[in-house]
Amino acid sequence: MILLYLITPALIMFFMSLSHHIYLRRILPITNLMVLIPIVYLFSLDKPYAIIGKYLVATDLNSYILLISSIVAIGVTLALITLNRHVEIDERSYIRFYRFFALFWIGLILSILSNNMGIYWIGLEMATLSTVYMIKTNKSKQATKEAWNYMIVGAIAISLILFGIILIYASAKPILGEEAMNFALLKVHIHEIQNPFLFELGFVIICVGSFIKMGFFPMNLWLANIERASFYPVGALFNGILESAILLGFFQFSTIAMQIDKHATFSFIFIYIFLTIFLVSFLIFRSKDFMRLFSLSGIEHMALIILFWVSGGYFPALLHFGAHAFLKPALFLSTGVLESEGRYKIAGALKGYHGFVGKTFWFIVGFFILAIISLPPSPMFFSEIYGFSAMITLAKEKDSLLWMILAITILLLLLSIIFYKFIEIYQSMKYKGEEVEKVVYKSELLAFLIFAVATIGLIMPQTITYLKAIYG
Amino acid sequence: MINFFIGLFLASFIIVLFSERLYRLIFWYAFNSLALGIVTILVGIEHLDNALIISGSLTILLKAGVIPFVLKNISQRFNLIREITPNVPIHYSIILIPAIIIFTFYLAQPMSSMIVINSHYIAISISSFFLALILMIEHGSVAPKIIAFLMMENALFLLGTIATKGMPMFIELGIFFDVMMAIVIINLLFKEEHIK
Repeated sequence: MILLYLITPALIMFFMSLSHHIYLRRILPITNLMVLIPIVYLFSLDKPYAIIGKYLVATDLNSYILLISSIVAIGVTLALITLNRHVEIDERSYIRFYRFFALFWIGLILSILSNNMGIYWIGLEMATLSTVYMIKTNKSKQATKEAWNYMIVGAIAISLILFGIILIYASAKPILGEEAMNFALLKVHIHEIQNPFLFELGFVIICVGSFIKMGFFPMNLWLANIERASFYPVGALFNGILESAILLGFFQFSTIAMQIDKHATFSFIFIYIFLTIFLVSFLIFRSKDFMRLFSLSGIEHMALIILFWVSGGYFPALLHFGAHAFLKPALFLSTGVLESEGRYKIAGALKGYHGFVGKTFWFIVGFFILAIISLPPSPMFFSEIYGFSAMITLAKEKDSLLWMILAITILLLLLSIIFYKFIEIYQSMKYKGEEVEKVVYKSELLAFLIFAVATIGLIMPQTITYLKAIYG
Repeated sequence: MINFFIGLFLASFIIVLFSERLYRLIFWYAFNSLALGIVTILVGIEHLDNALIISGSLTILLKAGVIPFVLKNISQRFNLIREITPNVPIHYSIILIPAIIIFTFYLAQPMSSMIVINSHYIAISISSFFLALILMIEHGSVAPKIIAFLMMENALFLLGTIATKGMPMFIELGIFFDVMMAIVIINLLFKEEHIK
């Protein structure tokens, strides 16, 4: 029954999109708010809570991720109201965007709540395919090319994930039978597996598939190109919801893999992450427009989340995850306004906002930009401090403290390049360029306020206690 | 009997890499799916597993029947270019394909040793996966890439059937649903381009 309540807003969106009544989009943010009722109810229940038998199970971890994704979905529907004021979109495409957004949302709810690898994959595939059409709502030649690109590369990535799942299933089936796809059961019985090699191979293949989808090394630019070519809410949905589901999958698989060989898992992931951050920091330094900047910065943050997670820093990983999931969609949605004078016009982008709505907009966007580079009291500041200390703790266990200090120093140097670029851009936005009057709509401002309040909510004592309790 | 159809499955993968016409590619995809469906049914009969027999029959119905028909229909409706010359010259493919197959047999050896039944088919399904990737790489146009995506899914389906004696029925139905959804989206993308 809870599942029905959870997917009701998406179903309403889907059926309303069939009516071809463009004014209905104003109702959708309100109907989307309804999703918070079953989620709040989920939080009040004892976990794990079986939603549909052993297939869909609510845990502390996935309830948190579902709440974050729902807030992002509400914010995106609010910002979608004025999409046609910022970009050229015909009514047919506009309505279809909602239709595929609804399918995307249903797929991700299934994926996030699944306790079964197969259902997780099915939901993710459904969301991936729905995104293809959302990219295509932009009628430009570049968007068409990128929609096909996403279809093909996304299909390869998702096929690799399925490949890995099959190998993991094959490794665990002799002891668990058809239950070998059950995440919770696999976690308990992982040491009984006769062929850990098959499991590890499957895990590595899943990692490669997930990392392609997240734009990690060596596929650093494909996601940035797609987000640049599509309308700005697509980037928000990618970073706020789709990548969250992929990260959740990674959390589930890596927790099991770390039970087999924690240090090998860490070493493999660390090399991957290090190469990713190395490349991304220089790509960010060279980026010339907001969309690419935010997209590449998203890759950097996802890489840090994964690094903290495999270091055993579950709390910093989840805190960073929440902050990234709120700040990045907010920044992507703000590009609708920031790029109103042209996509490469960064100088003066934060000038020309008048009245309460305009001034609040530039204040909030300034807050988002400074928060994303981890300036205190941003949740990212705390998550990075806790995350790097988790890496030090792990290094002490391995007796490789000096190597870890060297690695962290290099990582911090790379992060400082990103920090420098963002500060330079912020100064250019605020203090350079001409002042041209720009318009911000109230619905957009409301969306940004929701994201700002949610980000501040992450550093509330209750949230921190909840996050610390998730993995002890 | 299974050996014979697995052979046909792999052979159809090799043939598509040399195809220069779109309809021929669709035909070989249908043939590949037919071989896969029959293999699944035969494995199902061998293990007395009704779920495998059902999913094999669904494979034949959907992947060897409905999807090729829809793909051909799409190509006619939207006037897709039927001449599809691979970017990799055929004489290079002649060397590349056996190299990939031999390489995957070595690659899959540690895995095959861990799976008791039909272990030697694992290498065939993995090499098919790589061949589908080659098909995707060697063509510049979209239509062969779509067929490569579908054939990649067939390779994974074979791996799932052989390595695990079939995945749970509802998962396989979910995968069928996703493949059908992919076809709908592909149709929509072509339609949008056509309208434009």
